[in-house]
Amino acid sequence: MKKTVDVSIPLGPMHPCWKEPVRIKCETAGERVLRAEVELGYMKKGIERIMRGRPWQEVMFLAERVCGICSVVHNMVFIEAMEKISDIAVPPRAAYLRVVANELDRVASHILANFSYCYTIEHETLAMYLLNTRETVLDNLERLTGSRINTAYMIPGGVRFDLLPGDAAAMLADLAKVEEEMKRHVRIFETGPLIALRSKGIGYMSREDAIRAHTVGPTARASGVEDCDLRLRHPTYRALGFTQITRTEGDNFARVMVRFQEVFQSIDLIRKCIETLPDGPIRGGGFCKAGETSYAGEAPRGELTYAIKTDDYGRVIDIAIRTPSVMNIEACAHEMIKDAASIADVTSTFISSDPCIACNER
Amino acid sequence: MKFLYEKDLRQMKYTILTSMRHDETVRAIAARLGMSDAKLRMVLIRRFDMSLLENIESRWQMGQQHADDGDPVAAELGCDLFTRFIPLVDRETMQTIYSETTAMTQEMPFEEAVARGKERVREAVLS
Amino acid sequence: MSILQKIKNTVRSRSIHVSYVDVGSCNGCDIEVLACLAPRYDIEQYGIYVHNNPREADVLLVIGSVTPQWVDKLRDIWEKIPEPKVAVAIGNCPISGCVYARKGTLTSPPVEKYIPIAAQVPGCPPRPTEILSAILSVAPLIFKDYEEKQP
Repeated sequence: MKKTVDVSIPLGPMHPCWKEPVRIKCETAGERVLRAEVELGYMKKGIERIMRGRPWQEVMFLAERVCGICSVVHNMVFIEAMEKISDIAVPPRAAYLRVVANELDRVASHILANFSYCYTIEHETLAMYLLNTRETVLDNLERLTGSRINTAYMIPGGVRFDLLPGDAAAMLADLAKVEEEMKRHVRIFETGPLIALRSKGIGYMSREDAIRAHTVGPTARASGVEDCDLRLRHPTYRALGFTQITRTEGDNFARVMVRFQEVFQSIDLIRKCIETLPDGPIRGGGFCKAGETSYAGEAPRGELTYAIKTDDYGRVIDIAIRTPSVMNIEACAHEMIKDAASIADVTSTFISSDPCIACNER
Repeated sequence: MKFLYEKDLRQMKYTILTSMRHDETVRAIAARLGMSDAKLRMVLIRRFDMSLLENIESRWQMGQQHADDGDPVAAELGCDLFTRFIPLVDRETMQTIYSETTAMTQEMPFEEAVARGKERVREAVLS
Repeated sequence: MSILQKIKNTVRSRSIHVSYVDVGSCNGCDIEVLACLAPRYDIEQYGIYVHNNPREADVLLVIGSVTPQWVDKLRDIWEKIPEPKVAVAIGNCPISGCVYARKGTLTSPPVEKYIPIAAQVPGCPPRPTEILSAILSVAPLIFKDYEEKQP
């Protein structure tokens, strides 16, 4: 492949826009980016290698530390995979509380992703508003689970802490506040002419490209891929009447807007959960058994798959984790950044796909 | 003063490929191409960047589902699969191999022509 | 104490530039450093400015146990920071390796092997207020009368 390349510009590993170290080498002709190459290895900790041969009690905490931003969903998918292997039933109250914790985490993660995008296109005012709203969401996560980031809330057969009636009322009041604030932020984002100039029509990815690279989550939904939300197949979400949000533009603006819309949807889901929370115990019983399974759940960034093999004592013999960022970063680097009009768009396009390097490399 | 920041990435790329699912995928691709695993790994490490290596498993899965519907020659050679889903061969080379193999099917039995075409794909991958 | 030193002390106490580098963690500590920027904690009211440029920084926040790519590069970053400088380790990872210091890992903690660390903030992850108070208490100790303390 011979192309006229003027200069190869490396971005990173330390870059003001990157929250985590990654290096993108852009081959440019003039200002136009011809090709981009991603160099990883800055966050490779070898979690899958550490997990092998350890009991599930330890792997549970390791799974959560694959990614700090979406730690609740890593916990949830690993625990649900263990429950699937061992046929452990979850009490209905615990299943609903899991949804509450997971959706709070999703709201926090989406707001953080949109904060990063606004920060990257230098709209610091909106970025700071969003970050402040996120703190309220994290307060509620702390109210429910006792911790801000790494919660370890779910265990096989239930959850650890119950939601007290007083806490539920406070949480609903806080969520109403968050929703009101978010409505204002979305209006700022949607109608800002400078934001539209830097977002609309930039970083376009077609539906075919999205399917070919197996993009998942908001990145795929913004390109118009239908039926890619695994919450549609989760029994608890089905009972809550979940529907998927899809947009068809496929540019940076659509990706950020999908996340904004999902925040409102998640708040509605939490509200519905708390209002219809069934009574009963929050912990069932059971033993973890030998078996092999592959289980997928919907993380804030998309489809998260755990392939686990366990032995009779509940030890994990072999494990493979496929995180959503693996697909999204690859699609972003090879489909969106390719033919970007300028280097300035590379950073914002990369951030708009919500990359999580810690997830990607594990 | 240090000007060279580049590091040898081969060891790290190999670490990516040793994961359970990635290993299975590399073996499946090698079986499909009819070449040894070690040689394919070498080619992958030399050609692909690290994020593409991480994503090779899901790209292979999507390739199995969506690539090359219809044309039997293209399906046997993996025309779409090895150019767009897993970019091991560039498109012009694959197009010439495809058209020549289609021409060969007129003269000789289908299996033999496809076997020769596959041999050429393997050469293109290793080159 | 000379007048020049006094001026330097005053200026330095109200203008601390912070740069953070993630050398392989779960990024939980990363987002807690980011949360310090939020108007609730408002890191800038103390004169601390967070951005990611080591050449302008005074304080380097090191997050994470050290991965193979960072083994040689962390030292480079440390050398690019102008004097006076201070490194603060955030979280358990740079101190001990946290959950990653097990058999089969690719990391090689602690960070102290590579660069001198002045203060450590344990926690997985520590709260934003703790990070904030660590920066505020360690920076004046190092920066006050820096030139006069030099041999």
